[in-house]
Amino acid sequence: MSDILLDVQHLSHVFKLGKHAVIKAVDDVSFQLKKGEIFGLVGESGSGKSTVARCIMNIYKPTAGKILYTGLDICDRLEFRKYHKMLEANRQIIFQDSTSSLNQRMTVADIIAEPMHIHHIKPPRGSLRAEAEFQLSYVGMDSSYLDKYPTELSGGQRQRVAIARALSMEPELLVADEPIASLDVSIQAQIINLLRHCNREHGCSMLFIAHDLSMVEYLCDRVGVMYHGKLVEIAPTAELYANPQHPYTKTLLSAIPIPDPIAERNRKRMDFDEITFDRDGVLTEIAPGHFVLRKEDLE
Amino acid sequence: MDELLKIENLSVGIKSPAGKVQAVRDVSLELHPGEVLAIVGESGCGKSMLCKTIMKLLPKSAKIESGKIIANGVDITNYSDKDMRRLRGKLFSMIFQDPMTALNPTIPIGKQIAEAILVHEPKLPKEEVYNRVIALMELVGIQQPHERYKLYPYNFSGGMRQRSMMAIALAANPKVLLADEPTTALDVTIQAQILDLLKEIQTKLGTATILVSHDLGVVARCADRVAIMYAGKIVEIGTAEEVYYDPRHPYTWGLMQSLPALNKGAKELKTIPGMPPTLIDPPVGDAFACRNEYALEIDYHEQPPMFKITDTHYAATWLLDPRAPKVESPMGGKRNV
Amino acid sequence: MKKNPFVYYGKKALVFLLSVFILSVAVFYISRLAPGDPLMSYYGERVEKMSVEEKEAARDKLGLNDPIHIQYIRWVENAAKGDFGISFKYKQDVMEVIGQRIGFTLILGGIGFVLTFVGALLLGVLCAWYEDKWVDRILCKGGTLLSCIPEFWLSLVLILVFAVTLHWLPSSGAYDIGYKDDVLNRIEHLILPLIIVVLQHLWYYAYMIRNKLLEETRADYVLLGKSKGLSKKEIMFKHCLRNILPSYISIMAISVPHVVGGTYIVETVFSYPGIGALSYESARYHDYNLLMVLCMMTSILVIFCNLIGQIINEKIDPRIKANEVVETSEVTKV
Repeated sequence: MSDILLDVQHLSHVFKLGKHAVIKAVDDVSFQLKKGEIFGLVGESGSGKSTVARCIMNIYKPTAGKILYTGLDICDRLEFRKYHKMLEANRQIIFQDSTSSLNQRMTVADIIAEPMHIHHIKPPRGSLRAEAEFQLSYVGMDSSYLDKYPTELSGGQRQRVAIARALSMEPELLVADEPIASLDVSIQAQIINLLRHCNREHGCSMLFIAHDLSMVEYLCDRVGVMYHGKLVEIAPTAELYANPQHPYTKTLLSAIPIPDPIAERNRKRMDFDEITFDRDGVLTEIAPGHFVLRKEDLE
Repeated sequence: MDELLKIENLSVGIKSPAGKVQAVRDVSLELHPGEVLAIVGESGCGKSMLCKTIMKLLPKSAKIESGKIIANGVDITNYSDKDMRRLRGKLFSMIFQDPMTALNPTIPIGKQIAEAILVHEPKLPKEEVYNRVIALMELVGIQQPHERYKLYPYNFSGGMRQRSMMAIALAANPKVLLADEPTTALDVTIQAQILDLLKEIQTKLGTATILVSHDLGVVARCADRVAIMYAGKIVEIGTAEEVYYDPRHPYTWGLMQSLPALNKGAKELKTIPGMPPTLIDPPVGDAFACRNEYALEIDYHEQPPMFKITDTHYAATWLLDPRAPKVESPMGGKRNV
Repeated sequence: MKKNPFVYYGKKALVFLLSVFILSVAVFYISRLAPGDPLMSYYGERVEKMSVEEKEAARDKLGLNDPIHIQYIRWVENAAKGDFGISFKYKQDVMEVIGQRIGFTLILGGIGFVLTFVGALLLGVLCAWYEDKWVDRILCKGGTLLSCIPEFWLSLVLILVFAVTLHWLPSSGAYDIGYKDDVLNRIEHLILPLIIVVLQHLWYYAYMIRNKLLEETRADYVLLGKSKGLSKKEIMFKHCLRNILPSYISIMAISVPHVVGGTYIVETVFSYPGIGALSYESARYHDYNLLMVLCMMTSILVIFCNLIGQIINEKIDPRIKANEVVETSEVTKV
C-alpha cells in the first residue's frame, strides 16, 4: 500500500455568480497528503482554502479534477456511493465557528456520540455515553460537561467538543478549517497541543487550514500557500519558512508579526502587487519537495 | 505633568441579568503626547471597555463607578454627552475592529469623511472640505482619491475600508487615537500594511495612540509602551522592551510562552491552565492566582499592588514583594539589546 | 454581467400575466361553483314566483347554462374587447357600476394609506428616540392593545360614541342627501372610516420602523459616528433613518393592497359606497360579472404592488450591487 492518503489532482471549483460571471475559487490545485502527516494550507481570506477543504469532505462537488482518498475517487458518484460509509467515518472536519457548527439544542454527550450513532458503531466502551465521556476526557474536559449545551461553554471548550466529536470516529483524516481563528492566544495553544497529540499518538493525518502562519510553522510538516485560488508554493515547513520562493509567499512571511519589538520594528515588510500575479505557470520543483508556481520558460 | 490623558483608579461596572460585571477594575495609566501605548489581553479582559469608557461610548447598562479620567488636564469623568461631543473627534478619535460594520453602508466614503470634518467646522466652504477629504485619503494611502470619493464601503476591500476609517478618525486632527483591535478582521499582509500606516501617521502627526490588541506580535510592531490586562486590571505595564524582554508577571510569562514564535522546536506549547474568572463575582485575591503555578498563599487573600521595577516598569504580582521567594523567569535571560 | 432591462422587465411582466390568468380562472370557477342562485340578483324577489321553464329560459338568456369553460372562454373573448358584461343586480355595464363607486374607495384608501405611512414613520421614530423611556413604553403597550381590537367591533364602538351618543359625526354613507358637492360634509363622513383604516395598520408598521431603527442604532457605525462627534439627532436622521427608508418604502409598496384592502370591511360597516361594499354585495348576490371584475382589480393591485416592491427591493439591496463589484475585480468571464 502506498503511503499517500489523499491525492488531490487538478482540483478546480467555480462558483457561479450569474449567467456570465463566475469566481474561480479553486483553480487547478494539486497536492498530496501522506499518512500521518500534517499538511498546512495558508493564504488570505477568499484564496480558496476552505473551498478545497469542502471539496475534500464532499461538501462541494468540484467543477473539475479528481480527489483520490486511499486510491478511491471520491468525486465519482458511483464509487462514493459504494464506499460512503467508510469515507464518512474516516474523514472528519472541524470548522472555525464552533458556535454555529454545533447544534445548539443537543447536549455535549449527544453531539459527541452522534457520529457513532449514525454509523451504528457498537461503542467499544459499553454505552454511547461512556464513549462520549472518554472522548471528552481525551480533549481535557471532565464528565460534568456531558449534559451541558454548547451555549453554556466558552469558545475554547466548544472547539474541544467539536474536536472530540471528530475524534470519536478515530478518523484517518482530520480536516481542520481555521480551528483556532476565533480563540484567544492561550486557548489557541491548548487546541494546537491537542491536535499535535492526535497526530503524534494516533497517527491521525491532518489538513490544517489557517491564516496564522506562526501556528502553521509550529504544527505542520508541510505547507501549501494559496493565492487567488492557485497553489503558488508547496514545501516542507522548515524549507518554506527559510527559503520562500514565490513573491507572494515572501510577502506573506514578511507580514507575520513577531513578538519581539526590536526585531519587529526594524523588519522590512514586502509588498505583493496583485497585478504582477501570473495565474499561468506550473508547479516546478526547485529543491526536493519544494514546488513553486512558475512559468516554464523561466527554466 | 505633560500627559495627554490620565486615568486614575478607574472602575466600570456593567449591569447584566446575572449580576454586575466588573469589566474594568481600578485601572490607572497615563498617555504621553506622541507615544503608542498598547493594551494587550484576552477577550473579556476589559480592554475594549476601557477604550469605550475613555470615549464615553459605553452602553446604557455600563457605569463609571469610581476613578477619574483627566484629559489635557481637565477632569472629564462627569462630562455629559453634549460636552463629550466637542471632545470626540478633536481630542479623541476611535478606530473599530470591523471596518465593514463600522462604516455606514449607504453613504459614500468621501461623504463619511467629510462629515467628520464638518462636525467641528460646520461653516467650512464645500471646496475646502473636499480638498481636506482628498488630503486625508492620500494621508492614509488610498490611491486615486478623486475617483474613490464617491464609492461606497462595499466597493472597497477590507484594508481599504480600514484606511477609510482611519481617515475619518483623523479628520479633526485628534490628539489621541484609540484603535480597538484595528487589524483583527484583516488578513496578515493587510494587517502589516495597516500597522505600518498607524506607525507612520503617528510619527507624522504626533498623534498619541492607544492600541488595543490580543496579539503580542501585532503590538511588538508599533508599541512604545505595553500594558497587559487581565480580568479587568492592568497586571503589568512598561516599555515594549521591558515587557517583552524582561516580563515579571506570571500571566505575561504564560502569554509569551503560548506563542509558537517563541517556542520553535518545542514539543508542546506552554498553556495557561484553566480559564479567566467571571467578572461578576471576581475572586478576593489575585484574579490570576488559581491559574498561576507560582501563586503564593497571599495571592488568594489579597490583591497585589503595583510593584515598581523601574521608573517605567510596574507589575502587580506578589512575587515582586521583597518577602517573596525568588522565582526565575521561565522566559530565560534578558535579550541582549 | 449586464442585465438586459428588456429581459428583466419582460420576465416580470410574464410572471404578472401568468398570475393574472391563473387567478381569473380560479375566481371564475369558484364563484360559479359556490351555492346560490345568480337569478336572485337579476330578478330579485320575483325569482320565487317564476316557473321552472321561466327560470331555464332566464338562465339561457344570461348564458349560465353552458359548461363553465365555455362561459369562461366567452368571458375572456368579451373582456379582450373591453366588454366585461353587465351587472345582474344593477342591470348596467359593470365598468359603469364600478366607475361610480371607485372614487370613494380611492379617496378613503389613498388618504388612509398616506396617513398610515407617515404616521407609522413618525411614531416609529418617536419610539426609537425615546427607547425604553415612558413615551416608548406607553406607545408600545397601547399600540399592541389597539392592534388587537377587531376593526368591526371598534367601528361599532366609534359609531356608538361619536354618532349615536354625541351626534358629532355621521354614522354612515359618503355624504348626506342633498350635500353631494359639499366638501365639508364629505370630510365629516370620512373621519370615522379613516380612523379605523389607519388604526388597523398604523401600529404594525410603526413597530416595524421602531425595531428596524433600534437595530440600526446598535450598528458599529453609530459608535464611529459618535466618536466623530456627531450628535444623536444627526446619527438618527442622517444615518439610521436614511438606511432603513429604502426597505420601508419597498415594504410599504407591498402593503398597498393590505392597507387598501382594509377599507373593504370598513366600507361595509359604515355603508360607505365604495367598491369594498360593492364586492361584498356582488359576492352575496352572485353578481358574477361584477364580482369577477372586482376580484381581478384587487388581485391585479396585489400582484402589481408585490412586483413593484420586489423591484424596489432588488434595486436597493446592497448585496446585489456588491456582487457586481466582485465581478469587475476578481472574476474571469467565461
